[in-house]
Amino acid sequence: MEKNYEKSGKGGDRGERGDKGDGDEKRGGRGFARRKVCRFCADKKIIVDFKDQSTLKYFVTERGKIIPRRISGNCSKHQRAIAKAVKQARGLALIPYLVLAA
Amino acid sequence: MAEATKSAAFLREYETVFLVKPDLTDDNVDKVKEKVRGIVGREGGKFLRFTIWGKKKTMYPVAKQPRAIYLHAHYLGKPALVAEIERNLRNFDEVSRYMSKKLGEHVDPETRQPQDDLKLAGDVDDNKPFGGAEREDFNADVDGSYDDDITPA
Repeated sequence: MEKNYEKSGKGGDRGERGDKGDGDEKRGGRGFARRKVCRFCADKKIIVDFKDQSTLKYFVTERGKIIPRRISGNCSKHQRAIAKAVKQARGLALIPYLVLAA
Repeated sequence: MAEATKSAAFLREYETVFLVKPDLTDDNVDKVKEKVRGIVGREGGKFLRFTIWGKKKTMYPVAKQPRAIYLHAHYLGKPALVAEIERNLRNFDEVSRYMSKKLGEHVDPETRQPQDDLKLAGDVDDNKPFGGAEREDFNADVDGSYDDDITPA
């Protein structure tokens, strides 16, 4: 399974640092943000898998929407993998398409 | 020439997850399993492993049922094999959903040995109605995990 992502990511860990590559930690003058690291790049042992509900649910909101990269801290390569896996898991009813408000 | 025959021996690695109706008995589940295994054998593939995930709650009703039995098939084969399996799954009345995924290319069938079928327990508390308990703990887990990632304003 890991192979799939190895193949697609020619640049290796290129996207790891997120949008602002120069490590600018100040954001809009509203305090400092801890630089988020993609957890899949940090720990190569974790593999994005549509069958793994417990990992995927960290990347969807309680409403069932996919959490954006800006918040989850994923690199672009792994965010793409996550988005795909979430959609596949939805098709098999492992993850909800939407959760209606109670 | 030798190259060509050698590359023909390689197969692709696939997995197929499919959902069958929750009221099926173990015998009937085994029948579906054997049918799929038979197709893989017939089409020149190599079957690696069947995993029965058991009866699980689905996150939304599937085929008007709140639960389904999940089956996971792991096999090697040619692209036509996947099409054949999916065509058959479509025709089985018991199967409500399926999805296949390619895991790898150029796999030498000699390097992979078939493993014994695995049977997992599935959800234990089978009596709770759909939408109740499991949604609550789904929400709770999500809350606990990503809150600390959000920058405080």
